[in-house]
Amino acid sequence: MADVDMAQNSGTTAETDNDWVRVMSDDGYSFLVRRSVANASETMRDMLDTAGNYAEAIARTCPVSQRAVIVEKLLEYMSFKAYYEKAGPKEEVPVQEFMERIPPEIVLELLLAADYQNM
Amino acid sequence: MAQRNGVRGPMSALTEFLRSTGITPTTIARRVATQEQPQPEAGPSRPRGSRRNTAAADDEAEEEQEYASDNLDEPEEETQPQKKKPKLSKAAEAKLKAKAKAAAAMKKKKGEDDEDYEEDGDEDEDAYTALSKSAYGGGSKPPVGSFETCAKCEKQFTVTKYTMAANPGPGYLCHPCAKASGTDPFKKPAAPRKRKTPADKRKVVHIEERSFPTLVTICIDVVARHIDDVEAFGDIGTLNLEAISKAISKNRSLTSENAPLFYNAEQTKLVMYDATNLSPDAFIAMGNLNPNLTTLRLDFCGPLNDTVIAAWNNSLPNLVSLELFGPFLIREAAWLSFLESHFNMEAFLITQSPRFSLDCLNALVEYSKRTLKKLALREVGKMCDEFLEQIAEFSKLEYLDIAEPDHSCSDEGMIQLLEAVGGNLTHLDLSGHGLLTDEVLSEGLAPNLRVLKDLKMTHLPEITDAGVAALFSSLDKNTGLVSVDLGRNPTLGTPALEALLAHSGATMQHLCINGWKDVTEEGLSLIKDARELRTLDVGWCRAVDNFVVDRWVGGDDGCRNLEELKVWGCGRVEGKWGRAGKGKRRGLRVYGIESQTVL
Repeated sequence: MADVDMAQNSGTTAETDNDWVRVMSDDGYSFLVRRSVANASETMRDMLDTAGNYAEAIARTCPVSQRAVIVEKLLEYMSFKAYYEKAGPKEEVPVQEFMERIPPEIVLELLLAADYQNM
Repeated sequence: MAQRNGVRGPMSALTEFLRSTGITPTTIARRVATQEQPQPEAGPSRPRGSRRNTAAADDEAEEEQEYASDNLDEPEEETQPQKKKPKLSKAAEAKLKAKAKAAAAMKKKKGEDDEDYEEDGDEDEDAYTALSKSAYGGGSKPPVGSFETCAKCEKQFTVTKYTMAANPGPGYLCHPCAKASGTDPFKKPAAPRKRKTPADKRKVVHIEERSFPTLVTICIDVVARHIDDVEAFGDIGTLNLEAISKAISKNRSLTSENAPLFYNAEQTKLVMYDATNLSPDAFIAMGNLNPNLTTLRLDFCGPLNDTVIAAWNNSLPNLVSLELFGPFLIREAAWLSFLESHFNMEAFLITQSPRFSLDCLNALVEYSKRTLKKLALREVGKMCDEFLEQIAEFSKLEYLDIAEPDHSCSDEGMIQLLEAVGGNLTHLDLSGHGLLTDEVLSEGLAPNLRVLKDLKMTHLPEITDAGVAALFSSLDKNTGLVSVDLGRNPTLGTPALEALLAHSGATMQHLCINGWKDVTEEGLSLIKDARELRTLDVGWCRAVDNFVVDRWVGGDDGCRNLEELKVWGCGRVEGKWGRAGKGKRRGLRVYGIESQTVL
């Protein structure tokens, strides 16, 4: 089990969505992230939306049918987005740096996963 | 002016009135010239016509008095009669003074304008009214510090810069009367509109949309960066490739650079969902890099041109199925050469090609008559009855789409065509042939269509409710239709729907009766027996309301498989059905509810 703490990336989180949710990969790894980070993905937000009354929302657990390495990259983007979307307009979003952190070996898988996650 | 050259243009009512009382631009300008001296007071200038007339004689004397007086140094504030006048701060005072000066300068300027006016009296009449106002307003008010009798209470008072004219005139009001009349004597005149400095003007306010880069676009950029090293992406199955193609096309990111990702010398099938950004050279490269293609589908292939077709004639010898959306640049000669070099086509589906002519179709018949199974000449501008005669030659035709022509084909032509090819047709689209009547239904469709699954006939204003009802009652009962689109036919109603559902209600998966305005609630309720229904469009059917929808999807029976329901234009549908009237059901998307967007 590799519990990745993303808390330091979401320092500006509002109190209301400050709870932790679990994101499960296909191959059994689970990641704990703040809800604000999970909300960066529209699909995940819908899954966790308590109004939907889904099992995922009640258990606060999102299964993602991808390998752990993909899920980790997804979550990296999500915390990247959660952090920089709240940043001021002056602040430069280091997209280039993020791009360089994506190895080409997984980029197509990541592309499909991102398309599914609607982000 | 008018009198001088004998020409009189249109005049405003005020001009006409002033002219009748003997006031002309000349007299006014003369009067202005005689009081050329700048006026130190800065009261709000407003027309006081009648006052002028009576007080004109006194004016010079008054002015003399004014200039002889001590008031030249703008001591207006001190002469204020009201003791409770609010003390002005230094800054405010300075501001007031500046304003007074500016106003005086303005007046002076206007005076000059008046002179101009006299000189070139041929100016048009409209300018006159504006000038007369300033000329009147200029020196009419008695000088500050002089005594006046109030027009209302007839008491004597000292004129200040806040003194106001009586409304209606003539005369002026003392301060208490001015206040009592409801106007605020201390009210500052409206600030003159600031002229924008050129720098301000140049600064365009952009609505900057700070859209965060999505992970999809980032991934696509990474793909583009490594496109020369396709191996780096590792092995991905063909199924994934299609999904990736869709994901990339979604935001029109397919470009000449990243398109090679989908190329493979061995693949036989290639689909591109949005080829707008591919250059003609990229299309040629596509042909060279995929030499074994048998099936090619390109959506939005606008840049495709004659040179590409010429290249494909050599590079894609095995092509038997071509589907193009929007190949409008391809000329007749290129089509002919393509059809000649690709004989025995099995599917030829093009949409929006204004240059596809009868000769092209003849070539297609000549080279692929025995093999062609699917033909779409959708939105082809030259479609006409002669086309239909040629299409009748394709004996194996299963799929026929000749919808949305520029000019409708005739009943006779269509009946002959259906007699020839109707027997094998599983898909038929005759939308937009506005001249087709019930005759086509009774003599073309009913006797000839034996295995039809998919029927589209939208925008056919001539067909009638009874005709459609008769068609479905006479069609072979053994083969139910799977997909029916009879939308935008407002003449159709309940009998047609009843007959349709009686014929193929059990097999129907997709139904569109958009625009059947008169279909009744009873007729609509029958849809609930179409258990296989996946998509349903009942837009603009007036009888659709919450109860009708509830009958379809509310309970456990009804259209259990329904995935998509469109109710655009059904104003009475509010999304209140199902358990507790919440209007929600797993797997069902409802579009077009007026009070909400997507359920």
